[in-house]
Amino acid sequence: MNSRERVQALFNRQKPDYVPVFSGYGNITVHGLKKHGWKFPEIHTDAVKMAKMANSTYELFGFECSVAPFDMGVEAEVLGAKVNFYTHQDGILYPTIVEHPAEKTTELQINIPDNLAQAGRLPVVTEALGMMKKDLGNEVMIGSWVLGPYTLAGQLVDLSDLSKSAFKRTDLVNQILETLTGYLISVIDLYRKAGADYITVREMGAGPDILSPRMFKNLIQPHLIRLFESIQSPKVLHMCGDTNAIVELLNECGADALSLEKKNQIAETRSKLGDEVLIFGDIDPYGVLVEGDNSDVEVAVKQALDAGVNALWPGCDIWPDVPAENMKALMDNARKHGKLL
Amino acid sequence: MASEERTAEILDKLRQAVYDFEEDDTVKWANTALEEGVDPFKATLDGLATGMIEAGEAYNRKEYFVPELLMCADALYAGLNILKPAIEASGRSAEVKGSIVLGVVEGDVHDIGKNLVKMMFEVAGWTVYDLGKDVPLDRFVEEQLKTDSEVVGLSALMTTSMLAMPEVIKRIRAKNPKVRIMLGGAPINPEIAEKYGADGYAKTAGTAVDEAINLLKMLKEEEGSK
Repeated sequence: MNSRERVQALFNRQKPDYVPVFSGYGNITVHGLKKHGWKFPEIHTDAVKMAKMANSTYELFGFECSVAPFDMGVEAEVLGAKVNFYTHQDGILYPTIVEHPAEKTTELQINIPDNLAQAGRLPVVTEALGMMKKDLGNEVMIGSWVLGPYTLAGQLVDLSDLSKSAFKRTDLVNQILETLTGYLISVIDLYRKAGADYITVREMGAGPDILSPRMFKNLIQPHLIRLFESIQSPKVLHMCGDTNAIVELLNECGADALSLEKKNQIAETRSKLGDEVLIFGDIDPYGVLVEGDNSDVEVAVKQALDAGVNALWPGCDIWPDVPAENMKALMDNARKHGKLL
Repeated sequence: MASEERTAEILDKLRQAVYDFEEDDTVKWANTALEEGVDPFKATLDGLATGMIEAGEAYNRKEYFVPELLMCADALYAGLNILKPAIEASGRSAEVKGSIVLGVVEGDVHDIGKNLVKMMFEVAGWTVYDLGKDVPLDRFVEEQLKTDSEVVGLSALMTTSMLAMPEVIKRIRAKNPKVRIMLGGAPINPEIAEKYGADGYAKTAGTAVDEAINLLKMLKEEEGSK
């Protein structure tokens, strides 16, 4: 099996030869940047650079996917948020939202552009996905991702105001999430048509570190259910932070797989949810992949496999400064300990 | 002057109003405190701040979440707006008081945690120089030098922005080795704080002030022993 067949088998509920090692979100490295001679800020706004960087982690290390985009501003930018790309900086700084379309939740007007395919950086992302598909589509699965509706709302207004509104003006926030869910379905449709084989939805702003499980069930989950109902497989739900209290609710959202990170007790989650559900995780992208050494990576891989993950995913974006030897150790140890057939 | 019993009752009402995020009640009881001659500094610290610390504990127990904490903070500020002028007029102040430079490091625009920490320092009578969010590293160094603050607090929500912290610490130390540095934010733990060369680590807004006071005491003891 090549990497594409391996991940496909996983999503098709067949047994891959090895537990695959891939991700649903950013996994670029400084080694890829060095290979191409590019700086971090320039790869978010240029389709060729985005595509080549997305491909680079597979090409350099065999990491079994190609995923774009890399930053959390794409969807919000289309709706009027201003993004800072830190072009003046040499180091790695992820783009952030510097200006919201509205500060107060009560003042947010969501205007979805008529010609969505050409709005903001969506054409950059779709063009990149097309190139990734053309260049590596026979070797790896092409991935793309969006923020979940609540996390996206947090990019459009002041987050404190949104948090309080979720409590005090639940109906208003519910309407906003309804609109954003429809918008995200359209964005995902564009990504699919452009070449994305699988989609990950990252709703990390709505986990139990921030909102109560009750609020997750009443306010967040219905929109995630609608979102996953409306998009085709393969589709993954990613939540970081302490998700132990809501794994059942996450599982009801309708994704094919759940991506969880180190604050989740994966073994316990596996026993709560049973063997049917696909669980991806939970390699610590900083503590292990950046800070650790070969033996730390080996321990992390073994622990994740023992806990019952179906694929080894980093718990968040791979931090670009990851040492090359740790990327190699990740792949080597996954093969060493992850043989299934 | 309110009797001891009445004072205790008023403080408890203030505490409860913050904890229940009842802004109107906080205002009402803050006014009552002033009318009945309760020491406004005591009303702030033993009433408002105690309610907020309990809210922080409820967050740790997973009974409260971020929206509840923010609403408690609004209630606290509603009370503080009434009590603060009276504190200033009375000349009464905190016993261990200092100043702190606070900010969220460049690359990170999440400031809820930083704002809660800021509030606790204000309540404790400290001077807070708030640099806001997405703060270029040199701004922390400049502001510390300009204000001669004893403590600098750095916050980060994202692992990706946490990585800027060692660099800020290095730059501050190079200019002023005495200043105490505190880290806080979701990806930070005591091990990371220590590894980065920070003096303290704040898990929550409530513990941030205690931690800062400890740091300040250390600093004063060191100076005293010279």
